[in-house]
Amino acid sequence: MLETALEPAFWVSVLQIIAIDILLGGDNAIVIALACRRLPEEQRKKGIFWGVVGAIVLRVALIFFALQLLAIPFLKIVGGALLLWIGIKLLQPEDDEAHGKIEGSTHLWGAIRTIIIADAVMSLDNVIAVAAAAKGDLSLVIFGILVSIPIVVWGSKFVLKLMDRLPIVITFGGALLGWIAGDMLLGDAVVKPYLEGQPGWLKYAASTAGALLVVAIGIWLAKRAPRPRLPVEVVASGAQGDREHE
Amino acid sequence: MSDVKQQDRVKVLVPVDGSANSDRVIDHLLNELAGGAALELILLNVQIPVGSGHARMFVSADDVEAYHREEGLQTLISAREKLDAAGVKYHWHVAVGHIANTIIRFAQEQDAGRIVMGTHGRTALTHLLLGSVASDVSRNAGIPVTLIK
Repeated sequence: MLETALEPAFWVSVLQIIAIDILLGGDNAIVIALACRRLPEEQRKKGIFWGVVGAIVLRVALIFFALQLLAIPFLKIVGGALLLWIGIKLLQPEDDEAHGKIEGSTHLWGAIRTIIIADAVMSLDNVIAVAAAAKGDLSLVIFGILVSIPIVVWGSKFVLKLMDRLPIVITFGGALLGWIAGDMLLGDAVVKPYLEGQPGWLKYAASTAGALLVVAIGIWLAKRAPRPRLPVEVVASGAQGDREHE
Repeated sequence: MSDVKQQDRVKVLVPVDGSANSDRVIDHLLNELAGGAALELILLNVQIPVGSGHARMFVSADDVEAYHREEGLQTLISAREKLDAAGVKYHWHVAVGHIANTIIRFAQEQDAGRIVMGTHGRTALTHLLLGSVASDVSRNAGIPVTLIK
């Protein structure tokens, strides 16, 4: 890893992984915070800590298997297609459905379990994207995760604000996923032999096409989605001297 | 101010983000009130929705709402204490949504005649990176917006 650390390609991949972790990982930090909310104060930190540790170990294991799987013919094509879909989905406005029934647990193990299960399910998109960006290098994945954990765990509010103020960040994220998807498609064991002797720019052409595809379809679908004008969602109200409402 | 009837007062929406800047906004409003202005204050804190996509599968709607409520109440404390200390009447609300949009929509729903808010939020860094909610609001609100520096 030391020698590769000097190459620009290494840092490009690291930056890609960090961007993916932040864009697709913000949810996780929220679930962690919410899952531990009902714990007694002194257990909350413990719950968050072990939940995060468990989620990270699980994440690395999942990505490890994903990296192995991606060597199998056709699976990079499937992965690339999935990534395009994930990118398009990222650009869609949030819909307000499908709330889970899982209550914030009042005991430590329950909270940790919720965090880890949630992470496993919620990370699937993340795992595919990171595996694609890492191009087979697990050390890259671990490095990327280590860098992004503090951002996701402690910076989730900033990330939320960033997305609130600059929706373009999300468009950029979609484009990034499309870019990686294009690259991945060409790297499939089935496709690769056909590319022998082809010019090097083909890779960038595929990536550019992937990015444009995601942004174009993503924006088109987002525009088509009906957006009912609902009243402002007020979660608490009161008047002066009205403290019992709190 | 008791001589002013309820309906004669100007409804003022006061977005609060819990920053030192919001405190200055409250100071400014107290000054206006002390100067005899007839204002009906409506404090609003907007929470950015946290429960996105997948997160919803694992967290109940009640928990997300409670989380927003707690964060919002926490943010409003400083402004409320100032107003309470001054004995000023006001309403307060915690809403969830895109910050600038929600402020503008809530102003319309409440039929507010003015918005008074700070020009920048918590830190210089966030301001630099994220630009100003205040400039969005003042451009799109359609009612007078007083910005306090």
